[in-house]
Amino acid sequence: MSNVVPTRELVRLQGLQVKVGQLLVKNKLSDMLKDDLSRLYDALELSVAKLDDLNLQGVSLDSIDSAEMRHDIRNAIGITKGYAELIKDTAEAPSATLSNLLDKIMLWSAKTISTLERTRLKQTDSSLFAMTAIKQQHPNHRGHILILDDEPANRELLSRHIQQLGLETFACATADEAYEVLRSNDIDLILLDLIMPVVSGHQVLADLKASQLWRAIPVIVISGMSDQDEVIKCIQAGADDYLQKPFNKVLLQARLHAGLDRKRWVDKERELSNELEKSHRFIKNTFGRYLSTEIVSKLLDKPDGLDMGGQLQTVSILMADIRGFTTISESLPPQKVVKVLNNYLGTMADIIMAHDGTVDEFIGDAILALFGAPVAKADDSDRAIACALAMQAEMDAINERNIAEGLPSIRIGIGINTGEVVAGNIGSKKRAKYGVVGHAVNVTSRVEDQTQPGEILVAQSTLDHCSLTLQTGRELRLQPKGVKETISVTAINGIVDMADKKSNDAPIKSNDVSSTAKKSESNGNASNNNLSNEKHKANL
Amino acid sequence: MTRILLVEDNEMNRDMLTRRLERKGFTIESAGDGEEALKKIAASQPDLVLMDMNLPILNGWATCRELRANPATESLPIIALTAHAMAEDEQKARAAGCNDYTTKPIDFPLLLAKIDNLLTA
Repeated sequence: MSNVVPTRELVRLQGLQVKVGQLLVKNKLSDMLKDDLSRLYDALELSVAKLDDLNLQGVSLDSIDSAEMRHDIRNAIGITKGYAELIKDTAEAPSATLSNLLDKIMLWSAKTISTLERTRLKQTDSSLFAMTAIKQQHPNHRGHILILDDEPANRELLSRHIQQLGLETFACATADEAYEVLRSNDIDLILLDLIMPVVSGHQVLADLKASQLWRAIPVIVISGMSDQDEVIKCIQAGADDYLQKPFNKVLLQARLHAGLDRKRWVDKERELSNELEKSHRFIKNTFGRYLSTEIVSKLLDKPDGLDMGGQLQTVSILMADIRGFTTISESLPPQKVVKVLNNYLGTMADIIMAHDGTVDEFIGDAILALFGAPVAKADDSDRAIACALAMQAEMDAINERNIAEGLPSIRIGIGINTGEVVAGNIGSKKRAKYGVVGHAVNVTSRVEDQTQPGEILVAQSTLDHCSLTLQTGRELRLQPKGVKETISVTAINGIVDMADKKSNDAPIKSNDVSSTAKKSESNGNASNNNLSNEKHKANL
Repeated sequence: MTRILLVEDNEMNRDMLTRRLERKGFTIESAGDGEEALKKIAASQPDLVLMDMNLPILNGWATCRELRANPATESLPIIALTAHAMAEDEQKARAAGCNDYTTKPIDFPLLLAKIDNLLTA
């Protein structure tokens, strides 16, 4: 199973959307706030959909070629940000949770817009890449600040302050000097005085922002005037921040750090997105959309609210993937790969939902489904197994469709394991969305790794919870990484009909199935490693 | 009471801006395309128009030009809204007769300042 994560923007956003959904169902809210929040929820949904489309096309946020697509995304984010600000501005006595959430949404919007903004830079400016490359060679780069001020006393004062912060300064008296420094040094931030003879600060700002090479460098304008219009003009012209004379040391420090952070963030994001593009193939970015709508709608159906804060619960986890998919995806054009996936994932999601499972995520060609989260039921293991059998049974129909459309036929392996996991909105860095984490998830992945094409392997933990009489195939023992004891795993070929069982004391179906197991009766014998004969179809 | 006509084809954007502006005390009417905007302005002239440029049927630039060509609306304040953050877009909007210009995502305090500026001018 691959470990590809979707773009961080999308994961964060889905987490935020779920949180807004929770606030909507869990708290007593005024009508106005409820209405505003549900609009915010819709706006988040729109943003999720737009980013998801992008992912499906394998395009990263800062390399969108289509102006229309950029427009749509910018629009969706703008709406999201607008509702968040509206609520922030007008909600009466907002809870700390709400304020915090709104801040996060606004921050997300700002960051995402700024990622989006880099598109043009990236498209037009190869020299900027060269700059990034230089920076990557010097990870401990301290921060180079250019000061452009015609007054020697100001230059000296600023230089001293900034050097005390451990940053390097380049003080310039004229625009020409500044351009010379910019050409020969890697500058991270510019402090710019507005009132200067010969070339004014406004002109310098315009020149900087017109330059493809220097546009990304944050500019803090130094203004002697308390004239807000002037400041607004500069901000509109592309300055990032402003600082008023006389300098306040603390404020200077805060703004410098904010500016440098921004620059670092820009550099880092570019670096990361480059890496991501390199290492992850097109299709690995594909990410399902079922997660948010499915889980959130379940939540909304329960006005009492579910505790989504991260609960320890027993869940049957199903993982499926297309065997040999990497080979298939390498030999097909991306559009065909998407078709294969759509044929497959859409049908599988329907089957999983029909068995009351939750599609937690699609990761490339892999499916992670949960039975027992967010809502636990007594027959979670039974449904997981029945679902797996139904999935395998459906493969013939999927392949018929594939072949009819000139696509390759595919076979899948399915692993099922049951165990305690933490389910909920897990706010760790690894996961900021509804989902499950825990050892049991990793074990499931190991089980799934062992499957042959067309096979279903079920861990003993699931069989222990299972009330079905099953037709079983080979048994094997696994030793997942980090686990002392081995676990026993059994191939499942079908379910023995209860009526059949009664009429026929021996629980073996008339057709050739090697053995049967019911609950813990399965002995988990490691020596029995032979593959059962090719009867993989469900016997429902 | 200041009346603003918001011309925007995207329902969510329209709703969001309407809510924000109404809570600042403006009376908001809206139109979903340029043609509807022209009809509404002809029926009852607002104090100011906020206009998205990428509109169906009749786009924002054409709508602006038409408003400017009509003596009744030649000085009606218009602020262009667009999701493109290109310098050419601002020039294009101004060339079509918009008094001011703002990009999406909208900097709301800035937009308020611009509205205020045009209304008091």
